[in-house]
Amino acid sequence: MIKAIIDNIKGLYSLLVGLSITGRFFFSPQKTVHYPRQVVDPEILSSYRGPLELVPGEKDPAQSRCICCQMCVRACPGHCLTVTKEAGSKAPAAYLYDFTYCCLCAACVESCPTGAIRFSHKVYLVADSRQALHLDLLADLKVRASAAPASESAAAEQTGT
Amino acid sequence: MDRFNFINPFGVRYQPDTVAGDFYTNNFAKKAESNTIILNLGPQHPSTHGVLRVIVELDGEYVLRAEPVLGYLHRMHEKMGEVKTPWQFLPNMGRVDYLHPIAWNWVHVGAVERLAGITVPERAEYLRVISCELNRVASHLMWWGAFVMDLGGVTPILYAFEEREKINDILQIVSGSRLTISYFRFGGVSADADDRFLRLTAEFVPYLRQRLKMYQALVTDNIILRRRLEKVGPIGVDMCQRYGATGPVLRAAGLNRDTRRDIPYSVYPKFDFNIPTGPVDDCLGRYLVRLAEIEASLSIIEQALESLPAGPILPPKAPKPTFKLPAGESYFAVEGARGQIGLHLISDGGKTPYRVKLRAPGFSNLSLFAEAARGTLLADAIAILGSLDLVIPEVDR
Repeated sequence: MIKAIIDNIKGLYSLLVGLSITGRFFFSPQKTVHYPRQVVDPEILSSYRGPLELVPGEKDPAQSRCICCQMCVRACPGHCLTVTKEAGSKAPAAYLYDFTYCCLCAACVESCPTGAIRFSHKVYLVADSRQALHLDLLADLKVRASAAPASESAAAEQTGT
Repeated sequence: MDRFNFINPFGVRYQPDTVAGDFYTNNFAKKAESNTIILNLGPQHPSTHGVLRVIVELDGEYVLRAEPVLGYLHRMHEKMGEVKTPWQFLPNMGRVDYLHPIAWNWVHVGAVERLAGITVPERAEYLRVISCELNRVASHLMWWGAFVMDLGGVTPILYAFEEREKINDILQIVSGSRLTISYFRFGGVSADADDRFLRLTAEFVPYLRQRLKMYQALVTDNIILRRRLEKVGPIGVDMCQRYGATGPVLRAAGLNRDTRRDIPYSVYPKFDFNIPTGPVDDCLGRYLVRLAEIEASLSIIEQALESLPAGPILPPKAPKPTFKLPAGESYFAVEGARGQIGLHLISDGGKTPYRVKLRAPGFSNLSLFAEAARGTLLADAIAILGSLDLVIPEVDR
């Protein structure tokens, strides 16, 4: 009988301990990031895997390093890449990428012999249709080359948008 | 009145087949006793952690029989293993068990390495151990929060998520993803640990130790949780052995079995770690074993960080994505957060393996639920289900 009473008093005390912990956290500053007003630390996003993008060429940033060897196409588990070759040269005529099938596994990136593809860091990518996620990477490369000529400030440009 | 043989006020005969739903329910209802209720838990019920469906026969509040219905999340991972090359199958492993993907990475990579005779550099082995243990901690934290939420305490999961986010940030540095991680490669790992990874991991270990003390005061010592879990759902060694349950469920029952020590792989023999074994085999015992396992994992991480050797992370002739398996078969087992994970790989020397068999610990752990839940209150059955730490994608594969 007495033991039961002591147990209950101890139990009540454990509840008070729990409430004091919750109370302490109630008055501590918030740790969540409120997205539109705040953004996540760009250092954390530096390893984020967004949709693929082509690496700009050393001489001409609008030119891809791709040599159309089809290694990435064969390695891809989701069959989301289509690379066609220009007649008479090694340069790609089209580099199409279906982001809806991509599982961001890096098989293509690691199989590329020339290092022509990499992951972008587009965290806030939004699309309102499936078609918008069928990306033409060569066109994207040209857009980026005209937007940031000469100096390749990749990190700054990628995390922002 | 017999509940299967009466005519309603509109003159229609009650027919269980047309009223009670699908095949599983009707089949289950055939053996029902009179004056019982057949209740469908799930597949969308939040306490079943995904899309598990359990049919229970209730006498008042007491469970007479329970039967899990599987297959709502069957995604043919084993078949995909047969139609994809080993390299293409790698990202699948992260999707099998999204809470402990690195252990599944390891089991596939390990089976391929054993079959092809690839040696792994020592630094890669250490990085594998560190990332796997970090992931195990994240998995147990997630379970801790979800389990307490099953029992009615909503706050603790928010604390658990804070730690889990930190682990996700750490693992993202090397693997690039936060949930369905695919970090391991045949022969090593995909990326070397940089200074930031090592610094954050070293900072995280003492931080989590502090937080575990808070968990103890907030939840473990709480009288409501204790009274809710004590003597609920005892699962003995005998039942575990009959159903093949492994992991914390088996260790809470009192049997000291851990794949990391019993079938040593990688560099685990070099570490001195404690394998917690429960003093009691009820829900509280399984709860305490998992919390003790977090501490054991932290000590492994600490030792691995101290003795992390320098060197390459991939062997000189690491397999490329076009890599072909030699003919033969191999089996590899690792200790996942839920128990022993196994992968049996059979190759006939072709482009893709002949057969890939995945042994998911959750499947065996779930099979004993029907027996463990018999005769308990419905609310206690939910506690037992939560204490088994089920991940439904892994159960269904």
